Amino acid sequence: MYCVKKWLPACLLVILFNTTGCQGVTDDLTPSDSDKRPTVVSGSTGSQPTQSAPDFTAVDTLNNSRTLSSEFALADSVVLYFTMWCPICDSHMSHIRSQLIPEFPNVRFLVIDYVTGSVAASRAAQLSNGYAGFTVLADSNQTLHDTFKGSMGITVVIDGAGIIKMNEYYKDGRKLRETLAALP
Amino acid sequence: MKFTPITTTCLIAGAVFFPGAPAYSASCCGGGSSSSLLLPKASQAMIDTSIDIEQYDGFWNKEGDHINDPPDSDLNQYRLNLAYAHRLASRWQASVIMPYVWNDNQYSGLSTQTNGLGDTKINLWYEAFDDVTCVWKIKKMADLKPSAYFGATLTLPSGVSSFDDVDNNFDITGRGFYRLDGNMLIEKTIYPWSTALLLSYGKYFERSVNREYGKYVEPYDMNLGDRLLATLSLGYTQFLDSMDTVTYTLAFSRLQEEKAEINGRTDPTSGFEKRSFALTAAYATMARDWVFKATWAHAIDQDGWGENFPTTDVLTLGVSYVLR
Repeated sequence: MYCVKKWLPACLLVILFNTTGCQGVTDDLTPSDSDKRPTVVSGSTGSQPTQSAPDFTAVDTLNNSRTLSSEFALADSVVLYFTMWCPICDSHMSHIRSQLIPEFPNVRFLVIDYVTGSVAASRAAQLSNGYAGFTVLADSNQTLHDTFKGSMGITVVIDGAGIIKMNEYYKDGRKLRETLAALP
Repeated sequence: MKFTPITTTCLIAGAVFFPGAPAYSASCCGGGSSSSLLLPKASQAMIDTSIDIEQYDGFWNKEGDHINDPPDSDLNQYRLNLAYAHRLASRWQASVIMPYVWNDNQYSGLSTQTNGLGDTKINLWYEAFDDVTCVWKIKKMADLKPSAYFGATLTLPSGVSSFDDVDNNFDITGRGFYRLDGNMLIEKTIYPWSTALLLSYGKYFERSVNREYGKYVEPYDMNLGDRLLATLSLGYTQFLDSMDTVTYTLAFSRLQEEKAEINGRTDPTSGFEKRSFALTAAYATMARDWVFKATWAHAIDQDGWGENFPTTDVLTLGVSYVLR
């Protein structure tokens, strides 16, 4: 028993350091403030800011076919918000609805549901979460998710010229507001 | 100091009672945290291992309305918690808790399975008493004196967070922030009844962020809001013929986290609250060296029982071995 008492703390510490030494785990233990965003060629087709957004075709939860180019016929610019219907996504979408949609009436806000496997299920999730008034695209095959490198809470702003102005996590919505306010 | 079986029963109360505080994880909002660990007074060390089985049942939105998950959803997180507590001095003890986390989620059209280390906790406790405070009858004012513990917990972000290479919150096992909690536990036993109050207040440490969900972004500073946990529990101890004991504990907990700050400015979409109940049954052997525990922490899946947080039930099965 003496050996157990003596060596157990040391063993636990060894396990701790070995495990936290694994690649990726130390990212949060020693956070970096380095800017590691990839460099892209402005105007080339892609998903990053300054790139030209690829056109897409998607089905909304009312079974209407929509394209990016057709959305520009309805508004000056387009915002894509990727949701997985979680509490954080709900908080973001609620903030968009109450704060940003009234402030930017000429912007099309499209919600991308990339986790629900069918149009019908996506519509059900939309209604049960209380967002019947939103246009939700059912990204059942994660085509938009892959095209725009979307994930939970990722928000993409595309201006009237089809140039991506923002592609990052929603956070507090301040960056989205500033980006939209800076559009011509 | 010589310990009778009744005395040692009292001394084990900390080990039995404390698990009444529900484990809070919720992978959707930062998982991987485990419950705390407290060494009985007369013991030199304790090894504790437990398994948490957490099942998700929708969430509360910012308005406190409960939202159900889609019909085909099956969201689960499993945690194996390894813990060791060691007595440093007659009134001081320290412990470390390391969870390993498995996420297993089926969400309509998305199926994910990930695993990894959760956030590690290092605890330091001071016991503000020397003599046993458990009594059978109140004969004098001194018999009303409770046991008081004061402690600090440092949470290390050893888990995988939303700032690592993950696609969504189904994959994460930790919050990604260092946090320091100040803890106070007041416990009183008048056999066969016991009651305990745990208060914990935590402050996160600001950090730099240059990646969100696997995507590198313009670096910024972020800090999560202060965190308050309060747990009130009531227990009943049954002595078996063998002098083994079974203690039943009912606990009510409230967990609240204030809004986060991004570059010093408040994030209106953050912050959460959760209230839940926990029922614990703990079996301790006559020598009080082995303690077997089962806890069921239940959140009420109705409006008004939480805000901006997943609704989950957690079943915890654990065993502690006390070294004297």
